[in-house]
Amino acid sequence: MIGRILCLLGRGATDMRRRPLAQILTLATVSLVALLAGLFLLALHNFQLELLRNRGRVQFQIYWSQNADMELVKKQWTQLARMDRLERIATFTPEQALQDLSTTLDAGDGLLQLEGDSPLPPTASLSFAVSPDQQDEGWAKRLLSELKALPQVAEVHFDPMQYSLAQNWLEAVQRVVWPIIAFFGLVAAMVVGNTVRLSLLTRGDEVEILHLVGARPWYIRLPLLSTGAIQGLLGGLIGLGLLKLVQLGVQDALAGSPLALRVEFLPLNQAAGLACAAVLVGLASSWVAVRS
Amino acid sequence: MVRVERLSYNFGRNWAVKDVSFTVEKGEFVFLTGASGAGKTTLLRLLYGALPVTRGLAEVAGFTLNRLKKRSLPDLRRNVGVVFQDFKILPRRTVFDNVALALEVRGIPRQVRERRVRAILRALGLENKSYSLCGHLSGGEQQRVAIARSMVGQPSVILADEPTGNLDLDLSLHLMSVFKQFNDFGATILMATHNRDILACVPEARVIHLKDGGIDGAAPEPEAVS
Repeated sequence: MIGRILCLLGRGATDMRRRPLAQILTLATVSLVALLAGLFLLALHNFQLELLRNRGRVQFQIYWSQNADMELVKKQWTQLARMDRLERIATFTPEQALQDLSTTLDAGDGLLQLEGDSPLPPTASLSFAVSPDQQDEGWAKRLLSELKALPQVAEVHFDPMQYSLAQNWLEAVQRVVWPIIAFFGLVAAMVVGNTVRLSLLTRGDEVEILHLVGARPWYIRLPLLSTGAIQGLLGGLIGLGLLKLVQLGVQDALAGSPLALRVEFLPLNQAAGLACAAVLVGLASSWVAVRS
Repeated sequence: MVRVERLSYNFGRNWAVKDVSFTVEKGEFVFLTGASGAGKTTLLRLLYGALPVTRGLAEVAGFTLNRLKKRSLPDLRRNVGVVFQDFKILPRRTVFDNVALALEVRGIPRQVRERRVRAILRALGLENKSYSLCGHLSGGEQQRVAIARSMVGQPSVILADEPTGNLDLDLSLHLMSVFKQFNDFGATILMATHNRDILACVPEARVIHLKDGGIDGAAPEPEAVS
């Protein structure tokens, strides 16, 4: 019995040779729809990655108290320079800060007269870049508390704007992404489903004859279901192949541009999900076709 | 083997079959004659379950069609060989595959299938066309493929709808001899035809003449075959 079922499933594959043009057109449609769905997922995936990368870039300004012990502060600077995920650190003694301020304000020698008795505190500017996979809930706030807890630190400022903006975008994307995916999924399923169904309906004469010579429903349905699943699988895989080519092309084009964007391919689970969805749609539409 | 009582079927307001009753005993050869539109094809379609029996009673090969469940339809069709007026063969498959299909759906092993298909193709003069695509055959050859397929499963009843409709007289006579041979081996045959020439091929056959969907008492005389 199992051998017979396998034989019938195999017949679904061999039957695809009988109407090559119809099969090629169906396969082309399924592949293109899979490519379009893949492009949408690819854009979404990279947009999300870009947001996460932006959210992971946070700059902190640390101000020590004016009468802080410079020896201690310098030790802390050395420790800070060794912090994980630190991208850049700039430190200023009170004198250096005064010099910097004087240059920035173009104040000439006016401010420099205060040298040796600078009213400015020691400061440090720290830029962190946290990769998307290392970003967990509240990481920026935890880092802020960690810096504030340093001895003799008076204030720590950070610009929450970029963090919040990226965070809000991310939340908005995550909120609207599922309805959009569902909508596109429905459209893709209808296009692929109808194409597979039409391709199977061209075999209506065969189905009728099989009924007339006494074939049982499963004998007729199994090869047709197998054909639908194979069309879905092949279409999904070809779509993914085309998507990889598009990604490589776009990656090269955008990497050198002023945008310097990184375009990554879909993660394995999403790529597998796309291929599985194509198989399921092929299977479901064959089921509808053979029932009707 | 075939029992029909007060069987009627209508398409809208037109009665294609009206109040038809007859019985065909096991091993009997019966011709169903009548002009075009007399109801021969509809009657046969009712008998192989292509149309539902809603009025009257019909029994074929031990199956009561009025009460036949959908899942039992394949069982009926495995016991009844049908030759269709429009052949109903698969043009993209070979002669061998088309004939073997009737055995394949029953799960008959490949070796048995090959032996039986070759035997029936030899009997019908199609042996040298075994691997030709049916779509490339003439109308007469396609008709013979359809006949071979109906017989290869060795059914107890054969329903044939104009099986010689596309054949010349010589070939018709040859095929009638094959049908007769099959009948001699015990198969019950109910054959619809409007070709009165072939009635004489089976002189002992009973003739049921249909007219306007009902049975006409006056059956035509078989004509002498030259």
